[in-house]
Formats: sequence, C-alpha cells, structure tokens
Amino acid sequence: MKRVARDIMDTGFHTISPQTPISEAVTVFKQASREEGRRIFGMMVLDDDGKLIGMLSMYDILLFMRPKHVHIWGQMDDIDITGIIDQSLDKARSIQVGDIMSQEIVTIGPDTHKFLILDIMIKKHIRRLPVVEDGNILGIVYISDLFYDVLDRFTDNEAER
Amino acid sequence: MSGFKQHTLSGRVVGQAMRRGINRLGKDSTISSAISILIKYKIGGLLVMDEAHQPVGVVSKTNIVGAYYASLPLDSPLEYIMTSPALFCRVDDPLETALAEMSKHQIYRIYVKDPESDSAVGALAYPDIVGMLYEFCSRCPKSLFSHTRDAGLEIVERARIGHCMTREIKDVPSDSLVDKVLEELSLHHIGAILVTDESGRGIGVISKTDLILAYNHGVPLDTSATEVMSAPIRSCREDDMLEEAIRTMIFSDVHRLFVKDPDDERIIGVFSLTDAAMNRSGSCQACVVSRIQIAP
Repeated sequence: MKRVARDIMDTGFHTISPQTPISEAVTVFKQASREEGRRIFGMMVLDDDGKLIGMLSMYDILLFMRPKHVHIWGQMDDIDITGIIDQSLDKARSIQVGDIMSQEIVTIGPDTHKFLILDIMIKKHIRRLPVVEDGNILGIVYISDLFYDVLDRFTDNEAER
Repeated sequence: MSGFKQHTLSGRVVGQAMRRGINRLGKDSTISSAISILIKYKIGGLLVMDEAHQPVGVVSKTNIVGAYYASLPLDSPLEYIMTSPALFCRVDDPLETALAEMSKHQIYRIYVKDPESDSAVGALAYPDIVGMLYEFCSRCPKSLFSHTRDAGLEIVERARIGHCMTREIKDVPSDSLVDKVLEELSLHHIGAILVTDESGRGIGVISKTDLILAYNHGVPLDTSATEVMSAPIRSCREDDMLEEAIRTMIFSDVHRLFVKDPDDERIIGVFSLTDAAMNRSGSCQACVVSRIQIAP
C-alpha cells in the first residue's frame, strides 16, 4: 500500500533553468508533457549547481501575460486582441524563468506521510511538492497522483462490498 | 471639500479607484523574490511585513534600483532596502485627499486601510486613476471612440499630447555604462531615460523595469547601456489626441510614450501615465470637469 511520498512521487520529472527565456519555457512544458504522458503545469527550477531555487507554474506565466488594466476591458468593444497578445509576447522576450518563478518553495521528505502531504497541499494551495533528501531531489508529488491514490483505494473498497 | 475645484473625481472616495489585493512579502524575503512579484504582477512596489504580519515598509522599483547600484547580493533581505514606514490612506478618504498626499510625499502609490479592521486592503497608484478616468471618458457620448457620437460635436476642442507632456528629456549617450544610467535616474528622480547615439538621436529607452531585470540577471554595472535598453522607442506625436495616447498605454501595458517631432524625428518630450494622472486626464475641452486638479 502506498503510504509515503516515496511511494507516490514521480521520479521521471523535468526541470528548467532560471536563465531559460519564458518563450522557451512554454516549449519545455509541452515537451515534458509529451514525454511524461500527462499535462505538466509546473516545474522545478534548478540553478547551475542543481540546487532547487524555485517553482515555475503555468499560473506564473499567465499572471505575467495578463494585461494590467484588464478590469476596464469589459466596457471596450473595439480592442484589437491580436495586437495586444503580440505586444505581450514581445515583452516576454526579455523575461526569464528566474524573473517570474515562485521562490517561496515548500518541500517534503521521502518519508512524509501522504495525508500530511494532502494537508500541506490544501493549507498552502500547492499542487505539486518536490521531494528532497539531503539536498538531493528525489521526485515530485502531484496533487493528481495523490488524488487518484486516495480515490483508487476508495473505489477498491467499494468493489469489495 | 474646500481647496479643491469641482471635477470628475469630486465626491469619489479611495475605495472606488483603488486596486484590491496587495502584494506582500516578509521583511526577511529576498530582493530577488520581490523582483519576481513586481515583474509578474506588473506593479511598482510591494508592502513589507514583519513577523507579526504588520506592515513595516514598502519596497519599490526605486529601492531595488538603489540596491543594484550598491551591488547588494540578490538574496539580501528586503529589510535592508525598504522605505519605512509605509504610507496609508483610508478606504473612505476622498480621492482628492489621497492624491494630494501622494503628491506631497512624491510617491507613486499609497496603500489603503480599512478603518474598521485597521488592515491593509488595497493600493492606489497613478495608472489606476488614469484607468478610472478613461472609463469615465469612454462612456461619454463626446468620446472620440463613442459609436453614438454626434457629428455636430466635432467642433469640440480635444486635448492633445502637447498640452500635458513633459518637455524636459533626460538622456545618456549610447557608450554610457549601466552605473551611469543608475546615477542619472536617481539624480533626476525619473523612471526612465533615453539612450542617444552620437548624433543625439534616441535609439532606446532604459526604464527601472529594464534595470531590475538586469539586476536579477546578474548584469554587471560596467555593462554598456545599449545591452539593457529596450528598443524600438514607443512614441507618439505632439498633436496626437490625449485619448488615443492613454488608450495605447493602458491597453499595451506601457507607462510612457516619447514624443517625436514630426519633421526631424527628434524626441522632444515624454508623456507618461503619471503625467496623465497629475495634469489632466479628461481628454476633451468640452468636459471641463474631467481634469484632475491636484492641490499645489
């Protein structure tokens, strides 16, 4: 039975460097999704020494792409959306992963119990947690894996009844 | 309220114009994490909190540019560079009072407290004021962009860039180094500087945003200004409609447009959202009330 982080974590994870331009990060996300056979929405950011320094999620990128004054858009009916997206992309050219990644990282150890992981994810609104031991990254626990782990047990129990 | 002329903002309170939601970081958080927040949320400053979650200061792009000049490591705590204390107004304060306060302290943004809970609930910055006035203008039947505009109103004189642009331009020659750029920005209290070639022609702009990115990317201070500048220069003409320039800035998330001479393409001025908020934002002479008058 899967009990701790080590049992649930994904060890085939992908990482990204803080110097990667945002435009390229999008390609890295796509490629990782293809290789892992699942949609990847967030990735660990490692420096040149392999140290975990942040997390980059699609949310971070979307936050940056969001126009600042979007709240007054509702009343405008003649905005050239294409032009605006192009301008955002143009600005994103000088932005690197390290400029918008989340730097407040929460990690867990390989022996962290799955319900404690669940608790951390819920309380801190985190969907993925790196598993770290002695400074080495062993894997990453995704909320979806945790969800299916719990749900599969639930459906197994239902089937036995 | 006495001391202020009647205008669009009369009777409005801070709560109607402020941006809800505040970006906060602990005073032990790093400069680099503050840069991430400012870039991601496209804001100019954030509130710094102590261990008891009480606001103790503000970190703005200006503070971070100062840290770059002092070559502070990016993992230095915000406590080292913040401006303290943070200035607050109240949700129910008249907008005019808050703007006068911002003008008096020469600040670009003021934080807003809810008097009942005594907690910070929002921030008020110049671009938000311009956004609010733009909304007001765009609903007006006299608006340049109004579909229901009456052709008979064409005789109304509309405000143009020339009326409220800043004519004094600061520039640095293209062979300047980043540290020189930092000195100039600090000396003149400006948010961006023009980079010019040998003939004095503008070839790019360096804003505080460009500089905090350069700092975050580890760009040394003896790097050429041309390496960190943004090009091409976003520009407009002196006789362009104010309404159009504000619209361009609001919808493409730029803070300033340089004003070019139509004949020789020389840069003759600059027009920023701050100018728009400080001088007048109503875009049409017919609407005499739509100007922000900030008490001197």
